[in-house]
Amino acid sequence: MIKIKVRKPDMVENIKLHLDALLTGVKEAVKPGTITIEYPRERRWLPDSFRGYILFTPENCISCFQCSFVCPANAILMKKSENNRYYPSIDYAKCIFCHFCVDSCPGSALRQTKIHDVVYIDLDEMFCPTENMINPPEIVREDEYTVEYLMDLDIILKRVKERDDLIPEVKPVEIIKEYSSCYEPDSCLACGICVSSCPNEAISITSLDGEKRLKIDADRCTGCGICVKECPVQILKLVKG
Amino acid sequence: MEAVYELLKAVSKEHFMENMVSIPLIQPVIDNLLNIPLVGYVVALILWKPMFALLIFPGLLTLMTVLLFIIWFERKLTARIQWRRGPLEILRWAGGIIQALADGLRYFFQEVIVHRDAHKPYFIQLPILIFIPVLLPLLFIPAGSIVGIKTPYALPVVVAIVSLIPVFIVAIGWASNSRFAYVGTIREAFMYFAYEIPFILSVVAMILVYGTADMTAIVEKQTIPGIILNPVAALVFFISTIMATSRLPFEIPEADQEIAFGPFVEYSGIMFGLVMTIAYEKMYILALLMSVLFLGGGNGFPIPLLGDLAPVIWMFLKTMAVMVALAFLRSIYARFRLDQALRLSWTTMLKISAVAVLIGAALNIAQVA
Repeated sequence: MIKIKVRKPDMVENIKLHLDALLTGVKEAVKPGTITIEYPRERRWLPDSFRGYILFTPENCISCFQCSFVCPANAILMKKSENNRYYPSIDYAKCIFCHFCVDSCPGSALRQTKIHDVVYIDLDEMFCPTENMINPPEIVREDEYTVEYLMDLDIILKRVKERDDLIPEVKPVEIIKEYSSCYEPDSCLACGICVSSCPNEAISITSLDGEKRLKIDADRCTGCGICVKECPVQILKLVKG
Repeated sequence: MEAVYELLKAVSKEHFMENMVSIPLIQPVIDNLLNIPLVGYVVALILWKPMFALLIFPGLLTLMTVLLFIIWFERKLTARIQWRRGPLEILRWAGGIIQALADGLRYFFQEVIVHRDAHKPYFIQLPILIFIPVLLPLLFIPAGSIVGIKTPYALPVVVAIVSLIPVFIVAIGWASNSRFAYVGTIREAFMYFAYEIPFILSVVAMILVYGTADMTAIVEKQTIPGIILNPVAALVFFISTIMATSRLPFEIPEADQEIAFGPFVEYSGIMFGLVMTIAYEKMYILALLMSVLFLGGGNGFPIPLLGDLAPVIWMFLKTMAVMVALAFLRSIYARFRLDQALRLSWTTMLKISAVAVLIGAALNIAQVA
């Protein structure tokens, strides 16, 4: 056993240490520092890339299923909507807010917000269908100040009397137009899987001289790549238009 | 017949009016009220000095106010020093000052659980019985000429009654019959022996300094405050007050982080509310005693307009200063271990208190006070 020898301060030093503690206490009692934010009257300033509640714009969605594939928590369910397209819906009971779906979205149909304080009544309500993702949830804003932590040598709280916009503007991304094409038509089995998988009915099989041929309508194709994934002989690929 | 006449005389309005608190500022109002038949009797009763001591100061009303204030103040001050906010949301514009009242209400509507292993009669009785030793000393503490029971043995009586409180706490821990309560009770018993001797020795030193145990006489004799006459006794008294009321750094019997309020761990609801305030009430009594013994009690500039109320105000301010100092310690000290605290009190404190008694004896011979 190793016994650690603790240096015992002598009496004068001891009294000095006690006085030092008392003085520090008095100093903090008179002019205290603070690291507390009085939520909900104040909100912490958050960067625009904050991973919060996810919003959805159906016009930008090409039903590529990319968000659903990438989701590590398996929280995104693609549901068929009335216009025969597949749109994502998020189960917030599973979501880990990694925002892989937002990053992987080719048309920026999913976008991030700074909303992080949504309340649900029960677990069933945490499943957020597509129509609820289009508009931000109702927020009661009680905050008047926005507080920012300035991590210098000491922690300083900078209070500004303004409201932080919780839904940041997202820069429009340049959408690269792609469409599916068959590069080895001779190997095609004409099994029709691509036809049934296409959400936009862009692929059709035509019979020409008794030989079945694949016909892809480039105007209707959104470049979602589902047929590329589904093709059993792997002869489809996305090309830039 | 003679006895009945004496009794009637003792409860008559005239008897109360002989010994009334005089407040020149509102004297006309009081005079008018005294002329109204029933109201006059009640006003005379309340302003009768012993009843005033019981109901207003240092009794019920002040005690309640101080309890509500000091619990809030302690939390707020500690939070401020530790860079937090403290109680805030209840009555927000006043900084959450009625937090203790709200907590009390919550305790009131909570279920009181008496667990299976507890000794049921004692478990329920003792938190209520403990108020006898906790509140009785208030009758003997004078504020100027206002005193409940005037006796030359006031100081020994108060010290004796205050010394009874830990016995009740040990009994509470025994009746609770659980592990944490057992540990807390043992600690309470150890601390009781450790602080009681220096505490009594410092009081004895002050009795020697003034040559009397009558608190009114002690206050009158303090042209120089006792803290200047015998600072060593004041230090010992202060430290043993911290130990007696189990404040940090000697919060050993309660130690909420490790044994969850020690002897009081099994209590819930209003019973917990009662036992939780015991330490604060004891703190109030010992602060009153400290202001009488060392800070000159009700002495101060006389305020002619307030009359008998002026000593009350001075004494209240001094008591609050002592209580604030006690509450302040919570935010800067960590807790001592039991053996460290025992070593401190059985060696250093005992030595210092012996020195205090010697100083007291020397001052007694020199007839300073």
